[in-house]
Amino acid sequence: MTAHLRNLQGNAACALGAIAAGCRFYAGYPITPSSEIAEWMAAELPRVGGIFVQMEDEIASMAAVIGASLGGMKAMTATSGPGFSLKQENLGYAVMAEVPCVIVDVMRGGPSTGMPTRPSQADVMQARWGTHGDHPSLVLAPHSVAEIYSETIRAFGLAERLRTPVVLLYDETLGHLIETIATEPPPPEALLERKWAEGPRREYRPYAAGEDLVPAMARPGDGHRAHTTGLTHDETGFPTQDPERVARLLDRLLGKLEHHRALIEKVDRVETEDAELLIVAIGIAARAAKAAVGALRRQGVKAGLFRPVTLWPFPEEGFRSAVATAKTVLVPEMNAGQLVLEIERLAPAGVTVHRLGRYDGEPIAPEEIVAAARELVR
Amino acid sequence: MGGMLQIRLSGSGGQGLILAGRILAAALVAAGRRVAQSQSYEPTSRGGLSRADLVVTDAPADFPLVTALDYLVILDERAAHASDDLLAAGSVVLCDTRRVTSRISGPFALHRLPLWETAIGVGSPRVANIVALGALAAIGGIVAPDLLRQKVVGLAPPRFRDLNAEAFDTGYELAAHAPTVARPSQPSAML
Repeated sequence: MTAHLRNLQGNAACALGAIAAGCRFYAGYPITPSSEIAEWMAAELPRVGGIFVQMEDEIASMAAVIGASLGGMKAMTATSGPGFSLKQENLGYAVMAEVPCVIVDVMRGGPSTGMPTRPSQADVMQARWGTHGDHPSLVLAPHSVAEIYSETIRAFGLAERLRTPVVLLYDETLGHLIETIATEPPPPEALLERKWAEGPRREYRPYAAGEDLVPAMARPGDGHRAHTTGLTHDETGFPTQDPERVARLLDRLLGKLEHHRALIEKVDRVETEDAELLIVAIGIAARAAKAAVGALRRQGVKAGLFRPVTLWPFPEEGFRSAVATAKTVLVPEMNAGQLVLEIERLAPAGVTVHRLGRYDGEPIAPEEIVAAARELVR
Repeated sequence: MGGMLQIRLSGSGGQGLILAGRILAAALVAAGRRVAQSQSYEPTSRGGLSRADLVVTDAPADFPLVTALDYLVILDERAAHASDDLLAAGSVVLCDTRRVTSRISGPFALHRLPLWETAIGVGSPRVANIVALGALAAIGGIVAPDLLRQKVVGLAPPRFRDLNAEAFDTGYELAAHAPTVARPSQPSAML
């Protein structure tokens, strides 16, 4: 069967991907360049029996998403840099209380209100460390309209299966880009779903987890009793400051994503097998890098691209394998140097790491990467 | 038709360039091609520089933004020189005679046509975008004219359907019979 091809905007693909994944609740406060997600959800959710709420602000939006998820729904919100900052405290609550949800951050120029209509990739670290305290982060970074659709579906699967907030991170260029794609909703049996509490109600402990480190959630109405708090809690869900129980909770929270790395990690490699110059990039910069790799190869430069589709936790093994033949790594990114910090941390001894950055509101062009690469391999 | 094509429709906000881009993109997809469309995303509804860019390929494009234009439409003076860096020998430039007042010149095929006045003659200056699509279809090399006309009619709001069809046909005839028109296969004629 040939899939039906259509021209779709990145933000529209995000909304349609969410609905295909089973999302039936959206709460948000529109902000450029993410507003079309809210617009599409407002139009599409009622058609499938879902709920769209425009809240009074971003903080309330994030709180409503958490409430809807605890109520049993697949829920999401979307925003951009300034709104993402406002959501951070409640995002931390969702990490701590282990509430599945999806948060989309369509990156624009910053800091502060910055450049609402201009692209940026300066939330790489906000997505990793925006909320306070030691916490795991799960962040996906698509680089095309087709991948925005499929990664939104994957975001919901990971959020539900692992009981964690998942951030979908892409730049304004991709959000407003229209590309020809096939939208094929996955069959229901292909979706990763939440693990619900079963068995005797009296024995249920809401934060007791087995070997997979993911506790089963109490489904509202089933009679399993659960207490939910942002305070450090034990397996009963009630607060504790007992050092041993505190450490056990944080060990499990931080270990949960590590334990499921095989499920979480996703990378894309282009001509890395013999690459002497490895380019590492995400989003629209990775599209420029793809074109640059082709141009460099035609010029006789052994260039390759490593793209962390799962950005956080950073796919360390995938990177180590891709960098094996490289002498030099180039990191083009539309910020003052964020992703490059992780690459510097992971690069093997003897491999030099260089940054190509711009934060003037313009996307990095393929020819800039080619020029920087040629300079490095001279 | 194969190979990559890069197209820009430019002018001022409110001229329907983004709609024209969507119509052209729809025709190209119907012809089996892949399109990446981007646009200036500024508050241009009251007359700033506006543009719709298309990168047309057979497989998904590596880089989806324009880097060197094969076709450029200029409908307003505001856009007259905004794309100079993206033009080269082999580019085809379609430029309005009335709304573009400064001199456009370079090593490319230039077609100066009264798109704006033609639109007024058809019934509304608001269909200058569709007149331009008709002219592009006549210049050729992008997509089959009948397929593009089909999308012009199909994607227009019902009450503007006839007006748009007439605008497209008039634009097509205008370019087809203009002495300045050179097909891209013979760009040297215009150098």
